Amino acid sequence: MCMGLVSSLVRLVLSPQFFGPIVFPGLVTVLAVLLSIIWVERKIAARVQMRVGPLYILRPLGGAIQMLADGLRFFFQEFIVPETVDRVPFLLAPVVAMSFAMLPFAFVPLAPNFKPYTVPYSMPAFLGLNTVIPLTVLAMAWGSNNKFSIQGGIREAYMTIAYEAVLFISAYSMALLYHTLDFAEMVEAQKVPGILLNPISALVFFIAMIMSAGKLPFDIVEGEQEIVAGPFTEYSGIAFGLTMGIGYVQLYGFTLAFTLMYLSGWEPLVAPLYSIYPALGGILLFVKAYLLLVFIVFLRAVYGRYRLDQALRIGWRTLFPLAIVSVFLSIALGVIGVV
Amino acid sequence: MSSSVMEARLLEKEGDEEVYEVFIGPQHPASGHMRLIVRLEGDVIVGVDPDIGWVHRTMEKLAESKEALKAIPLLERMTIIDSQNVTIGYVRALEKLLGVEPPPRARYLRTLLSEINRIASHLYGMGLAGIFVNHSTMFMWCFGDREVWIQLAEELTGARLTHSYSVPGGVRRDLPQGFKEKALKAIRYMEKRLDEYHRIFFDNPQVRARYEGVGVLKPHEARRLGVVGPNLRASGVRYDARLLGDYGVYDELEFEIPVREEGDAMSRLLLRGDEIRQSMNIIRQVLDKIPEGPILAEKYLRLIPPKLREPALKEGRIKFPGIFANLKLPKGEAVARAEMGHGEIFYHVTSDGSKKPYRVRVVTPSFRNVILFRYLPPGHRFMDLPAIYGSLDYFPPEADR
Amino acid sequence: MFRGKVRRHVEAIATGLKYLVKPNRITVYYPEEAIVLSERYRGMIHYDWDKCISCGLCAMICPADAMKMYRKKGEKKARPGINYQRCIFCGYCVDICPTNALSFTRVHDVAFEKLDEMLYPPEKFTSEWRSPAEERGARRLRVVFDEERGLKHVPEQ
Repeated sequence: MCMGLVSSLVRLVLSPQFFGPIVFPGLVTVLAVLLSIIWVERKIAARVQMRVGPLYILRPLGGAIQMLADGLRFFFQEFIVPETVDRVPFLLAPVVAMSFAMLPFAFVPLAPNFKPYTVPYSMPAFLGLNTVIPLTVLAMAWGSNNKFSIQGGIREAYMTIAYEAVLFISAYSMALLYHTLDFAEMVEAQKVPGILLNPISALVFFIAMIMSAGKLPFDIVEGEQEIVAGPFTEYSGIAFGLTMGIGYVQLYGFTLAFTLMYLSGWEPLVAPLYSIYPALGGILLFVKAYLLLVFIVFLRAVYGRYRLDQALRIGWRTLFPLAIVSVFLSIALGVIGVV
Repeated sequence: MSSSVMEARLLEKEGDEEVYEVFIGPQHPASGHMRLIVRLEGDVIVGVDPDIGWVHRTMEKLAESKEALKAIPLLERMTIIDSQNVTIGYVRALEKLLGVEPPPRARYLRTLLSEINRIASHLYGMGLAGIFVNHSTMFMWCFGDREVWIQLAEELTGARLTHSYSVPGGVRRDLPQGFKEKALKAIRYMEKRLDEYHRIFFDNPQVRARYEGVGVLKPHEARRLGVVGPNLRASGVRYDARLLGDYGVYDELEFEIPVREEGDAMSRLLLRGDEIRQSMNIIRQVLDKIPEGPILAEKYLRLIPPKLREPALKEGRIKFPGIFANLKLPKGEAVARAEMGHGEIFYHVTSDGSKKPYRVRVVTPSFRNVILFRYLPPGHRFMDLPAIYGSLDYFPPEADR
Repeated sequence: MFRGKVRRHVEAIATGLKYLVKPNRITVYYPEEAIVLSERYRGMIHYDWDKCISCGLCAMICPADAMKMYRKKGEKKARPGINYQRCIFCGYCVDICPTNALSFTRVHDVAFEKLDEMLYPPEKFTSEWRSPAEERGARRLRVVFDEERGLKHVPEQ
């Protein structure tokens, strides 16, 4: 009876519905990526900037678990809730934001027959769940009852309008190209990586991705030099850790989507690992997404911040026409029958 | 009452729903030691009120209570990043009162340190311009490269920032061995780095979009407001206190005063790069042309007993004559100007014949540039305020004295 | 114009990548390494008891009022003591001392635990200074100017 319980537990954990969203590339991997990518960002920035970066925590590893130490410190810090805030949005919004940042991982397939949810529309579901996050940021900004936060919230609203449409259009142009809305079928359809088929769409999705996650050169929402920390000003302790992490989790999700749509996902499949356990066969998906993440994080050392209206101008005057062009390009390629 | 005090005050007054105030206060990641009261209409700035005085250290009053020579380290701390240029004005005013002239070699050495400090000060300003648009690489690179020049200054004077190098009559230390080769290596390194700054910062389209066309200062406005330093020269007005011939050896050297016409934030930053190049040019000429000779005026040098004087001069230092401990300033007034990295500094020393000056009046360049915070931002967007702040190279401790 | 912008974006990213691949770190891993300061560095001050003639010039010229003359009861001569809380290491006292009784050492990284420790009456003033990092076995580095890297820290030969 005991063996039966253990074996059913193991079967539950190894099932795609559990393994995908919770273990890999879901919750556990997301937390691992979050801990490591911030350290990587600081070390990369330090390398470019003539200095060393975090070093002393676990010195032989070069300070690799610095973020673990920071995270632990957040748990011990006092979470101050000011008296003048609107408590419900203030307290709930970061939690909702992080949850909705983690939900899309339920739609990411890992290997040919390893999908958490077998739905024919995983791509729109993935992108759609990510669009809830700007609403929670607005709730944070409004609930904080602070002029700087409201400024940050307004900037978030503007930026959302700039990049959301562009993100969706460029993603749908790939859907048009592959004749499917499902991530797994998109990977199957890529004999040639999508970035070579429709480079315009790749470029547009890349820039819109950076805008969405709020990374330099588009970290306007939390512009430290003008509005302290924007919507996240009043948060301290563990809530600060949450709000800091939302952008990275979103970015990680988007890099997975980018890899699936443009960089032929998990191809070439690592056959020996696939035979052990299907999810491990798709390890290349994770590797490619992580490398892309490292590149985006490297851009921090090269760029400063755009002004709000300049970012909006880029979104509407440059990216929007390019997105339309990419749709037409996809239609043309589809008619020719490339894919 | 308590709830209305706690409410965020969004409205200036009744009926003024369009305009709201933001305090970029002293407790802010990017305000420096000052407060800016910004009035915004949507995203457009309609008024900025600079609120300065948070770092007021009563330096003018303290200088009245100290003997003349003792005020040199005090006044140096107004702008510690540029310490030679801050004190040279005061020392020149004292020299005019005392009636003593420094020997030629001392004047060359003063010019050398002035230019080294000017490069360090401009790198500081460029670093600030980087961080105000969150370009952390420019910030770290400028401050890292500043280490090279601070190391040169340390080898010359013995301290990294607090040089206290000039005294009335000359300078305190001579050139150490091998200084010229080190300085030339530093110059060659800096020229390479300036090209890299261009590639990653000045020519970066994103930085150009932030700084070009922002905060345009017209020449007649610059003259009317009394702006000094690179902010003035970037608007097309060719004024530099080094040309007045009051200190240093600038009339014996060949160099240009860079002037730019556009008057926007980008030209202010590029002008600082040009000035760094000119300063390196001046350093090369100084090291080539420096004459041999004493580094303290004969009037004070002969007061030191020879047994003490010769070994010290051989080592490259001087000893103070005992009279420096109670130097009596003759009755009178003296005025001196110097050109700091931030602009022109002006000293007016009045003495009534005792050891302590009766009044030391100092007008610092940042104090004269503060007015730009009021006149440049209105009409721009809120995110242009850090760009304007970064381009002005405003140094609050110097403005507040 | 568009192509010029793209080229400049690419140049900026290429410059960043160049330094990512070959960094130019100038960090000194203090306290495992310590810089040997230059010859004429203005560090902590050393007082030679025998050379001092009690002229008091150092106390007269100190801009920060850090040097004071201490006279023991019944003694004719006073001797200088220093208050390191106030000392700004300007070097006026060293420069004015007519017998070179005061001199600079090349130690700068001393830490005091209590405020009283920073008061140095004349007897204590004569003590030798040792850098705490070097006492713990720090590797000594010299600063060398270099055309490619600006400053290099090389081990002292």
